[in-house]
Amino acid sequence: MNGSLAPRTPGVLALAGAGLIAALATGRPELALIAVPFLVFAGAGLVLVREPQVTGAVELERVRVLEGEELTATVRVRNDGPEPVEVEVAPARTAQLAVVPAGTVAVRVGAQSEIEVAFSLRPRRWGAHGIGPVAIRARDALGMTNWEGRLGERVDLRAFPSEERLRELVAPLRTQPFLGTHVARARAEGIEFADIRPFQVGDRVRQVNWRATARRGSLQVNQRHPEHSSDVVLLLDTFEEARDEASGTLDSAVRTAASLARAHLGQRDRVGVVDFGGTLHWLEPAFGTTQLYRIVDALISSNIAFSYAWRNVDSLPQRVLPPGALILVITPLLDERSIALVSELRRRGCDLTVVEVSPLDHVPPGPTAADAVAYELWRLQREALRAHLQALGIAVAVWRPGGTLGPALEEVNAFRRSAQPALRA
Amino acid sequence: MLVAVAVLVIAEAGAASQLAWLGAGVAALLMVAGMVAESPAPVHAAVAVLGVVFLARQDSRLLLAPLYGAGLLLMDDLAIRTMELSGVGQIAPDVIAARLAATIAVAAIGACLSAVAALAVTAGVSRSVALTVVGALAAVAAFVAIAVLVRRRFGSSAADPHPASPPPAPQAQPSTDETT
Repeated sequence: MNGSLAPRTPGVLALAGAGLIAALATGRPELALIAVPFLVFAGAGLVLVREPQVTGAVELERVRVLEGEELTATVRVRNDGPEPVEVEVAPARTAQLAVVPAGTVAVRVGAQSEIEVAFSLRPRRWGAHGIGPVAIRARDALGMTNWEGRLGERVDLRAFPSEERLRELVAPLRTQPFLGTHVARARAEGIEFADIRPFQVGDRVRQVNWRATARRGSLQVNQRHPEHSSDVVLLLDTFEEARDEASGTLDSAVRTAASLARAHLGQRDRVGVVDFGGTLHWLEPAFGTTQLYRIVDALISSNIAFSYAWRNVDSLPQRVLPPGALILVITPLLDERSIALVSELRRRGCDLTVVEVSPLDHVPPGPTAADAVAYELWRLQREALRAHLQALGIAVAVWRPGGTLGPALEEVNAFRRSAQPALRA
Repeated sequence: MLVAVAVLVIAEAGAASQLAWLGAGVAALLMVAGMVAESPAPVHAAVAVLGVVFLARQDSRLLLAPLYGAGLLLMDDLAIRTMELSGVGQIAPDVIAARLAATIAVAAIGACLSAVAALAVTAGVSRSVALTVVGALAAVAAFVAIAVLVRRRFGSSAADPHPASPPPAPQAQPSTDETT
């Protein structure tokens, strides 16, 4: 620990010295008598001071929480010295991590003993928050010296984004040959009725449609659509974001991606993630709960990385975008590169949907009339861009932070239903 | 505390009561300024002013000086302590009690030593150059001893200029782990 004199110490010494000197100079012994307690105080404080032997550790109640959820962090402070010591404990604070109590905590640790100081933590935003080491300041009994140091090691608290429960998802145009919940266009074993055809050798008797057979006079069998899964790739645009003091479009985009990932994995789809921005990260599509945790871990590591590099579809490995996969692009539509990527994917015939995380709420119009006009122009420009994408056959769902995703996805499905022949082309 | 100390002087100031009032007022202003600015210097200045104002008292100065000094020390400590703990969010009760007990104990010892010195003063030894030199040397020796002690403990480092602020908390950094 680093020791230093407390700011009061020079003052106390100066008072004692001034009293003695003034007494000698003026011949007034009263001033010296007044100064004696100060001299004794300073002398005792500095003679008896010893470096405190304080050690400790930081422990978290759990290392994974949902954003906004509270948990307790415990700082164990152990005094191995022969005298009690007063310790101020100050855990790390950031704009994204609320700590209660708000200031430091002052405790007294007895000789050869240990105490626990509990703090309540609440991550305001998803992400990995480093807790510890904790800054401490120890003081001697009279407060003449300060000793500062750090306790414990860094513990990572991973705050997962809060998720919205989605009742309806974007229905994929193509499915994969794995058992799932989406009704495939193909005809095979399944539940959903598709058509009737004449009996062929190898057909099972249970497939025979007896009513149709009686009507047509020859054996007819039912054909059905099988239930298959699909591949879903969540493409997160991290080139740019609009951010105000409280939150930004990336915060909402990650929450949206987490909600979609959970919902699609719940429907037995294979889900992958591409973090498409200044840095490129991806997770190949896979099934199951483990994949959900992988995706959420990948999502909370997302951040905006500024880059001039031009990236396009060729920057991505082919296995990340499997043929026939439904690609959900989650973007604020602020960067030319991400808009170009969306157009390029559509040109290549990908099944594509854009979830636009609206930046309008994070960027208020300026104070002047000219600012208001510029803002309105920008808003119209964005609408034109959206119309352009829809003209390309891309469904665009506008999602404003604070609202629910469900209606936006319903809008997408309505668009896709009406434009299905064109989309399949 | 300040009021009690000031009243002790003003009550017996006699003809110099106006001066005592003025001194007490200045000390109160300095004390308030120090508390507001969270700076120990004005607080020490207030204590120094009250120390000088004590000379305005007309009688029993030698008898009361040890108690007065101990009172000033307590006042100084309480004010500084209040400033130190102003940024603390939560304080364990035994922190204040232990610190107050330690300060009162040291102030009492200081008052006793001061009283012994007062007895020596009243012994009737006449003032001389030799005695003044001895006194000055004793004072210098005390300060040199303290300075040597401080240097041995802390090296040549000076006092922390802003220790009344909370300890510098480390900044939590978002993880930069990459997932590919």
